[in-house]
Amino acid sequence: MGVITRKRLWGSLSLGIALSLALAGCGNNNNSSNNSSKSNTAANQGTTDQAAGTANTDSGSNATASDDLKPITISAFIGSPNQQPTADNRIYKKMQDELGVKLNMEFLVGDLQQKLGVMIAGGEYPDLITADPKLVTAKAVVPLEDLIDKYGPHLKEHYANYWNQMKDSSDGHIYWLPNYGAYTGDFLATNYSGPAFWIQKDVLKDAGFPTPKTLDDYFKLISDYAAKHPKTVDGQPTIGFTTLAYDWRTFPLTNAPEHLSGHANDGGVVVDNGVASVFATQDIAKTYYKKLNDIYNQGLMDKEAFVQNYDQYIAKVSTGRVLGMFDQHWNFQDGENELISQNKIGETYVGFPLTYDGVTDHYLDRPVLNLNNGFGISKDAKDPVRIIKFLDALMTEDWQKTLSWGEKGVDYEVDANGKFTRTQKERDEQNDPTWKLANKADAFYGYAPKMEGTFTDGNATSAGTQPDEFYASLKPQDKEILDAYKHKTWTEFFTPAPENPVAYPAWNIDLIDGSDASVANKQMTDATLKYLPQAIMAKTEKFDTVWDQYVNAYKKINVKAYEDRINSQIQWRTQNWSSN
Amino acid sequence: MTAPKSSFLKRMRSQKQLMLMSLPMLLYVFLFSYYPLWGWTQAFQNFKPALSFSQQEWVGLKQFRFLFRDDTFLLVLRNTIAMSFINLVLGFVTAIVFAILLNEIKTRLYKRAIQTISYLPHFLSWIIVTGLVANALSVDGGIINVVLMKLGFIHEPIMWLSKPHYFWGIVGASHVWKEIGWNTIIYLAAITSIDPSLYEAAEIDGANRYRKMLNITLPGIKSIVIILVIMNLGWIMDAGFEVQYFLGNGVVVDWSQTIDIFVLKYGIQIGNYSLATAAGIFKTVVSVALIFAANTTAKRFGEDRLI
Repeated sequence: MGVITRKRLWGSLSLGIALSLALAGCGNNNNSSNNSSKSNTAANQGTTDQAAGTANTDSGSNATASDDLKPITISAFIGSPNQQPTADNRIYKKMQDELGVKLNMEFLVGDLQQKLGVMIAGGEYPDLITADPKLVTAKAVVPLEDLIDKYGPHLKEHYANYWNQMKDSSDGHIYWLPNYGAYTGDFLATNYSGPAFWIQKDVLKDAGFPTPKTLDDYFKLISDYAAKHPKTVDGQPTIGFTTLAYDWRTFPLTNAPEHLSGHANDGGVVVDNGVASVFATQDIAKTYYKKLNDIYNQGLMDKEAFVQNYDQYIAKVSTGRVLGMFDQHWNFQDGENELISQNKIGETYVGFPLTYDGVTDHYLDRPVLNLNNGFGISKDAKDPVRIIKFLDALMTEDWQKTLSWGEKGVDYEVDANGKFTRTQKERDEQNDPTWKLANKADAFYGYAPKMEGTFTDGNATSAGTQPDEFYASLKPQDKEILDAYKHKTWTEFFTPAPENPVAYPAWNIDLIDGSDASVANKQMTDATLKYLPQAIMAKTEKFDTVWDQYVNAYKKINVKAYEDRINSQIQWRTQNWSSN
Repeated sequence: MTAPKSSFLKRMRSQKQLMLMSLPMLLYVFLFSYYPLWGWTQAFQNFKPALSFSQQEWVGLKQFRFLFRDDTFLLVLRNTIAMSFINLVLGFVTAIVFAILLNEIKTRLYKRAIQTISYLPHFLSWIIVTGLVANALSVDGGIINVVLMKLGFIHEPIMWLSKPHYFWGIVGASHVWKEIGWNTIIYLAAITSIDPSLYEAAEIDGANRYRKMLNITLPGIKSIVIILVIMNLGWIMDAGFEVQYFLGNGVVVDWSQTIDIFVLKYGIQIGNYSLATAAGIFKTVVSVALIFAANTTAKRFGEDRLI
């Protein structure tokens, strides 16, 4: 007996000791790895930038010859929800075969800001990381300019015209490779993915293809149609107008006034003569929300508009019940794609640039570099050189064609004039989400640097912007609409964009984490989400009372801190970017 | 004077296996419960993740001042305590009543079935439950509105989730629905430990069912209830996060936002970790104070206590 208990005791004891040792070991390991990574970044950021760069060069060039195709796995965090591509995905496999790079992608689940906040608090990052100013503040990413200079000739060329803009305003380093907005060749726009007042094609057809110019025109179309068709073909009640104010996607509710008043999309501010001001409580806003209040009281506005989350919104759009909304096209594209896949083309949307009387619309803008977007390389990346080389290799025209158009003869054809086209079967495949998971690298390509405009052979960089291919890919119902308005593309509904001011747009200005400006921004969003729905859903005679409460709530917020930050950045950009 | 010390050492030595065995646990507690307290220093800094400790900027009580001067935070505090209190009271009352009623059921199979069904929702995550709740409360064919309309109580669907004053009730009801069965388990266990002869004696004295419930079952589980109340008071500042986050929206924000959501919005999301820490410290201090208060009260009433 005694012996046995003793043995058991020692057994459990040694187990306990092992456990405590293991725990202690973990602690130590963590510390040391943290320390070493810290010292690495310190070296990179310190005054010896150049030295550190050359040190990298040496080890890099030694490795180049033999190691270039040595298989490597690069972890990447993609800042949007996506489905994992299939294991034998054709394009990712090609990357692995030809470039020796296997991508290990993690997609966003839940809220991006929260995820990044947690990542920063934990201090561990994947190799490639979705751009966010937060990460620069946290010193989680490495400066890229030396790496690009030495190892990224194609990237350097791609961004040549935008080099100054890419520099971070706080320290002049480049941390991000913007994914959209760097154009080469001709700029072709066929589809419109920006903001507009959207209306279902059936509504237009029913009314004989009118062109609504004002809010009154627009809502009259909707109310007439809703009166005639209280239910959809599937028997669900139609919804006249909806909006969305969920999480960071509050622009469907908040951005309309700036467009109605003829301003370009600057986010929460309107910029007049280079001076930004918050418009949320100005008259341009009040007029619009008063109108929505009328619409609500007429029963045309979605009752659940302010309660719904993004998924519910998309689900609602995809049933075809919603006759109209103000939104950016890309924001509800998923819902529309669902309609297209069910061939409910009449229930998809056309955007119109509504304005207040006597104002020229400025919905369509010239593409700008999408700052604070795309990929950066984290301080934890083991081989930044290899990663830059990988991204650089993808910047070659061949790879760009593969990523965008696909493979020649499989995903697209080349006609006698050297123009890329697709057969009907190939077009259908491009619209099939399941097929895309196995045959496209969209999740990665979306955040990677990419060519836009035209290739050197004159072909558009994507099928959607190849004019002939675009028109050919349209459904008969779409051709009917465009023909009725005597347009060739969806962008022709809008006034052509004037030249952008240098500092445009203000919405991508970094407010700096934890600053007064960012606190004010949060408080403004909170106030907007609290009072605007109340105002819109109020009885007509109560509207003004709620509006006054809203204005008072804004008075308590340090709006000036926010405006000052925006204005100082506009000035900074005007000075530093114009010397391009 | 040396005698007690040496006897302490002696006892230590005679129980050295025990001492050794508790060492890993001590380490564990130190590593995961005490070592992180170091992070509290963040609350008094303008914390920047990239800088080392010596490079941080010290700001004293600035973060706390921001918290308590902010109107939103006071609302948030009220919501947290109110919802927590509602959940606590509703949770206890319903669970105890349910346990006593279940105890009266004599058919074993039937009792088991009810118990199982009632605790199944506990295993659903809040995201699913809030989805169900939102669906049930929807204006667009949600079951609650449909039933109320069919019964003729209302003529038009009510927008439950955009009426600020309904929010606490909805949260409370969701909690009860989800947790009632689970909370009951411990009381049922306590009830089984009551001496059956007490019931027999009462029966001989002519007590009916309700008498027995009132005078035997309830006093029988009193000590368990008090211990649980004390333990749960420690969580009063945690009214929850998921329910309010998923069910809340701009319209009801004044009634739905809890401390945790506030911290997420004004701390983590805009990278103001110091503020988040300050709010965390405040929560902890209040919770500890509450526990001690409850414990002292229990002591005064001569009941079992936690500490």
